[in-house]
Amino acid sequence: MKRWNGLSVTVIFVLLAMIVSACGGSGGNSGSGETGANGANASGKAVKISLLNSKGEIQTQLEEAAKVFHEDNPDITLEIMAAPAGTSPFERASTLYASGNPPTMMMLDTGDVEKFKDRILDLSEEKWNADAVENATNLTTFDGKNYGFPLAIEGYGFIYNKAVLDEAVGGSFDPSTVKTRDDLENLFKQIEASGKKALIISPMDWSLGAHFLPLAYAGQNKDMAEVNQFMDSLKAGTEDLSGNAVLNGLLDTFDMMKQYNIDKKSPLAGVYERGPEVLGKGEVGIWFQGNWAWPQIQDFDTANGAYGFLPVPISNNPDDYGNQEISSAVSKRIIVDKEKSTPEQQEAAKKFLNWIVYEEKGQDFLVNQASIIPAFKNITIPAADPLGQSIQDYIARGKSQESMSNLPADHWAKVGASMQKYLNDSGDRATLIKEIEEYWTSVK
Amino acid sequence: MIKEKEWWPRLRTRLLFTGPTLFAFLTVMIVPFIYGIYLTFTNWDGIATTHTLVGFENYGKVFQDEVFWKSFGLTLKYVLFTVILVNTVAFLLAFGLTRGLKGQNIFRAGFFIPNLVGGIVLGLIWQFIFSNVLVFIGEKAGIPLFSTSWLADPQKAFWALIIVTIWQYAGYMMVIYIAGLMSVPNDILEAASIDGANGWTKLRTMTLPLMVPSFIVCIFLTLQRGFMVYDVNLSLTKGGPFKSTEMVSMHVYEKAFLSRDYGLGQAEALVLFLLVAVITLLQVYFGKKMEVEA
Repeated sequence: MKRWNGLSVTVIFVLLAMIVSACGGSGGNSGSGETGANGANASGKAVKISLLNSKGEIQTQLEEAAKVFHEDNPDITLEIMAAPAGTSPFERASTLYASGNPPTMMMLDTGDVEKFKDRILDLSEEKWNADAVENATNLTTFDGKNYGFPLAIEGYGFIYNKAVLDEAVGGSFDPSTVKTRDDLENLFKQIEASGKKALIISPMDWSLGAHFLPLAYAGQNKDMAEVNQFMDSLKAGTEDLSGNAVLNGLLDTFDMMKQYNIDKKSPLAGVYERGPEVLGKGEVGIWFQGNWAWPQIQDFDTANGAYGFLPVPISNNPDDYGNQEISSAVSKRIIVDKEKSTPEQQEAAKKFLNWIVYEEKGQDFLVNQASIIPAFKNITIPAADPLGQSIQDYIARGKSQESMSNLPADHWAKVGASMQKYLNDSGDRATLIKEIEEYWTSVK
Repeated sequence: MIKEKEWWPRLRTRLLFTGPTLFAFLTVMIVPFIYGIYLTFTNWDGIATTHTLVGFENYGKVFQDEVFWKSFGLTLKYVLFTVILVNTVAFLLAFGLTRGLKGQNIFRAGFFIPNLVGGIVLGLIWQFIFSNVLVFIGEKAGIPLFSTSWLADPQKAFWALIIVTIWQYAGYMMVIYIAGLMSVPNDILEAASIDGANGWTKLRTMTLPLMVPSFIVCIFLTLQRGFMVYDVNLSLTKGGPFKSTEMVSMHVYEKAFLSRDYGLGQAEALVLFLLVAVITLLQVYFGKKMEVEA
């Protein structure tokens, strides 16, 4: 019996170690320490600040911008930290806070800002608030105080390769000719007739769950207040989705897309990287994705940079809301920590944000280097890439639909999984709708 | 042992030797563990500066969380297959590589190497193999089994996970089994040969019973690693397609950090700990009973 005791104690401790280090997370992260967040130099004027970047595709551009910013402001050294790909910036930011070592600035998704509001700086007094585009700071304003710096406008829809479509329609393709589902199907048929595949559906849960399906929420009504009311009743469980015209219309379009999908045989096998490759090389004419995909498309570009967006139609009536509108919204927000950062660091961070908006070099970084569509009216440099230009064009013509950017944090993962099941024909529409309804009634 | 009558000098000597380790153990293990248990009684979301006590509400929710139990069931299935297959493969490798083959040390090193590669990297390498290399070969050679990605099908993705796990751990367990096989005394095997026992009889009646300690260690390690699997799961399938291969650790992580329900996630982690503790303790207890002396 004695031996048994010694052994059981050992076993328990080994397990404990595994559980605590694998799942605990509450105290185990203090060792990471790769930031210099708290390293403000108290004696001199030199200040060291850091930024957690969650837009992986602009990491090098940001590092470059940090160097340029340092040349302009020799006192301030800016260090860019990358959030690991595939995790949400919230996860990284909250672990950094838990370890007592948050960076000075963090780039978060819109919906995450509220959770941090007790720990971050009120940015309402900053000059750029007045220059931001309309409604840019609505979703990060709580009790009349704005906590988030709107970094980018991002939009998504069907990206088309103009070279492929020109060939399919015989002549120059005009995006305004596609206003209904039938128009779109017609276009798909034309592309297939020209010997190419019509489109690729990238099966990532975030693409389907955070971008495609939310078109059905945002498309409910042109009035955002009505949309919010719809979301509330969805949460309360009083909304009958199976009879919802917009959702069913969107799913009808999705059914149609499934028929023309290049990966129809194994719809879930694809990865993100396959999308830009087949679109850029002209193997397909259309890809459902957003303007952030430009750097990857550019690597495979065979259409001389001629790309643009088409809206995702939800019906056969050209005037229905959403059939001619592109979904777009301010997506990434930079917040400034006030808990662990010194006042000097906070000032330096504010200076960096102003530098982006008002200095020529900052604007150049934002628009030309990082290919971001700025959320500020005073920046007049046109978007640097064709996808950004296309989105800007839709916005300028008033043909934009506000994307759902404050969905609950696990929406993309859970509803995305349901959408994958539907895409794979492993579940029918009734199952999908039931799972969406269940998600909304169970969400906190 | 130093015999001291006074309690203070005695304690002082002990603290001198165990103090540093004890301190490290308390701060990185016991304190977070207890704090973690405390958090299971709160509704903390992982970031807020305040949280309220909610009593046993989270534990009630653990038992209502169907997905948690579903992924626990899946994990049990995964553990069952990996424990059996990893140990079988590892034992066969060990057995083959103690026969005095030419270059067997190179083979041993070769089979052990996958264990030195981190789970994340390993998962990514195999993701590439399953969704690109095998598909390419399958299409060219016309093998329907490989012509679509294994990772896109719930059943095949599950088996992909098991295959990668075997590849990862078989070499490690092999090393333990080799040590076990070498420690079987040659004299009794020789005596058995003289008595006319053939190879199979010797293996069954002498080698295997004498190797029970190795089996206990290996089965314990594979059990515990199987239950805690996260890295390979994350980088190979990400729980997909559509959450069909989401193991229980991944579910707990997502509860805590993605759904921002830290209290509930932590409560699920604790329940998982208790379940795994019971299972492994039973395994070690019954394993020990099978031990024999030469």
